[in-house]
Amino acid sequence: MSAAVTLWSKHMVKSIHNQMEMTGMLIQPILWVVLFGVGMGSLLGPSMPGGEDIYITFMLPGIIALTASGGAIAGGSTWLNERLQGIVKEYLAAPIPRLSILMGNALSTVSKGLIQSLIILIVGIIVGANITSNPLGWMGGLVLVAGFTLGFAGIALSMASSTDNMGAYHSMIMLLNLPLLFLSNALYPLETMPTWMRIGALINPTTYVVTGLRYMLLENGAEFAKVDTIPLWLCFVAITIFTALGMWLASSAFKKSLK
Amino acid sequence: MSEASKNNLVIEARGLVKRFGQEILAVDGVDLAIEANTIYALLGPNGAGKTTPIIMLTTLLEPTEGSAKVAGFDVVMQANDVRKTIGVTFQETTLDKELTGRQALNYHARLYGMSKDQRQAKITELLVLVELEDAADRAISTYSGGMKRRLELIRGLMTDPNVLFLDEPTLGLDPQSRARIGDYIVELKVNRGMSVLLTTHYMDEAEQLSDKVAIIDHGKILIEGRPSELVDQMGADVITIAGQGNRDDFIEKVNDLSCCETITTGNGIIQIGVDSGSRRLVEIISLANERGFTVEDISVAKPSLGDVFLKYTGRQFRD
Repeated sequence: MSAAVTLWSKHMVKSIHNQMEMTGMLIQPILWVVLFGVGMGSLLGPSMPGGEDIYITFMLPGIIALTASGGAIAGGSTWLNERLQGIVKEYLAAPIPRLSILMGNALSTVSKGLIQSLIILIVGIIVGANITSNPLGWMGGLVLVAGFTLGFAGIALSMASSTDNMGAYHSMIMLLNLPLLFLSNALYPLETMPTWMRIGALINPTTYVVTGLRYMLLENGAEFAKVDTIPLWLCFVAITIFTALGMWLASSAFKKSLK
Repeated sequence: MSEASKNNLVIEARGLVKRFGQEILAVDGVDLAIEANTIYALLGPNGAGKTTPIIMLTTLLEPTEGSAKVAGFDVVMQANDVRKTIGVTFQETTLDKELTGRQALNYHARLYGMSKDQRQAKITELLVLVELEDAADRAISTYSGGMKRRLELIRGLMTDPNVLFLDEPTLGLDPQSRARIGDYIVELKVNRGMSVLLTTHYMDEAEQLSDKVAIIDHGKILIEGRPSELVDQMGADVITIAGQGNRDDFIEKVNDLSCCETITTGNGIIQIGVDSGSRRLVEIISLANERGFTVEDISVAKPSLGDVFLKYTGRQFRD
C-alpha cells in the first residue's frame, strides 16, 4: 500500500507542477458547465417546466460523469507513457507488489476526478443549478464518482497495457467513450429514447452513476431520478460491479503485459 | 547460510533460456557463476543477447527454462528478496524527465521503504559522488546524456545494493563521461564491496574495468575468462593481412605453421596470432607469395580484447 501511495504522490506532484495539465484540468469542467449547460439550458429550458435552471440541474451529473471518464482516459495515457518511456521498469525492479503499481495510477486518477467533480458542483451552483446542501448527499455522490472513475480507469489501463501505440490507444478509447456518454441518460431522460437506445442505456454504467448522482446531489433529486425508474440501491450495486470489473480487466491485462 | 554465500557466488545461472513467441530465441542456455566483489562484463555485438539475461536476473521477466540465483535468492521463487538486494541501470533511460534529479532519487528510495532521514543523507552523499549537486533541483529534461546516465547510476545506488546490474552504462556517451563512469564503477567495487554485472560493447571498457569477461553471441556464452587470459590465448602478437588471390590455400598453410596460435578471417582480412610478430612476418609473407596470395597490406600489433571479440563473433554487420 505504501508503494501505491508513493506512486500516487509522484503523479500528483507531477500534475501540480505541470501548468498546462493543471489549467486544462481546472478549466475544462468549467467550460462544460458554462458553455454546454447554459447553452443547452437556454435552448431547451423554455420548453421545460421551471425554465433554464432545470436543464442545468438535470445535466450537471452527466457533466461530472463525462469529466470523470475524461480523467480515466488521461490516467490510461499516463500509464502508457510510463510504459513507453521505460519508467515502469523502475517500478518492476523495486520490491513492491506488482498491483500497487496499477493502484498508484488508479488512486491519482480518482483524486483528480474528485477534485474536478467538486469544481463542477461549485460552478454549477454559481450558474444556478439546484444542488443539495446535505453533506451526506455530497459524500454519497463522491463515492459514486470515485467508483465510476475507478471502473473506467480500469478499462483505460487495460487498453493502455495492451498496446504500444498512443494513437491506437486514443482511437480505441474514443470508440468506447462516445457511446458511454450519449447512450445514457446523462443528457436526455430515458423515457424520450427509442427502445433500442433505452436498452443500450440500461446496460451502460454511466446511466447508473448519473441517476445515482441525481438522487444524491440534487435538491429534490428523487424527482429528477424517478423519471428513469431506477432505484438508488441499484445505482450503487451497478457501480460496485463496474468498479470490480474495471479493476479485474486492468490487472489481468497488466499481468499479461509482464510475460 | 545459503549455499550461494558459502561458495561465494553472488550470481549463479544454470541453463537460462528466454524465448519470445515461437520465433525469437534471445537467450540460449546461459550459465553464469559470478563471484562476490568482482566486476563481470558481458561483451557482445548488438542483438547478441546481452540485455535479456539482465532482464531475467533483475526479475523483470521469468526465464522460459533454467534457473538463476542472485545473492542466494531464486529469481522466480524469491523475486522480492532479489529486488531488495540489487540495483539496476537499464540500457534505455528509465528516468521520469518531468521530475527533478532530487525528486527522482527520493521517489525511488521511497519505493524501497527508506526513511526520510536515510533518503536525504544518501541523496546528498551520492549527488556529490557524481558531481550533480548543482543540477539536482532542475528538471531531468534539461540534463545532458552524461548527466542522465550519472543520475541513473546513483539512483541504483540509493539503496546500497549488494549486486549492481548495469546494462550498457556508457552507451552513447563522450569519452570524458565514459571514463568517469568507469572510475565510479571501480570505486564501488573497491570501496563499497559491491559486485557488478555490466554489459558493454566497448572493448577497452571491458578490458580496463572487469575482472572477468564473457563474450556472448546468438544468446550463448562463447568464452569466459579474465581479460588478460583471453588476450594471451590470441598469441603474443597479431599479424593482420589484407590481400587477394589464393586465399583458402594460404590460410590452410598458415594454420599448419607451428608459430601460428590462432587464425581469424572475414571480410577480406586475415588475422594470425603468433608467438612473435617481428620474427614471423617474413615467414608469412614468403608463404603468401609461394601460395599465390598477393599481400596488399600487412601490420603487426599486440592483440587486444577486440581481436578476441572478433575471433569469436566474426566480422559481419550486426543490428
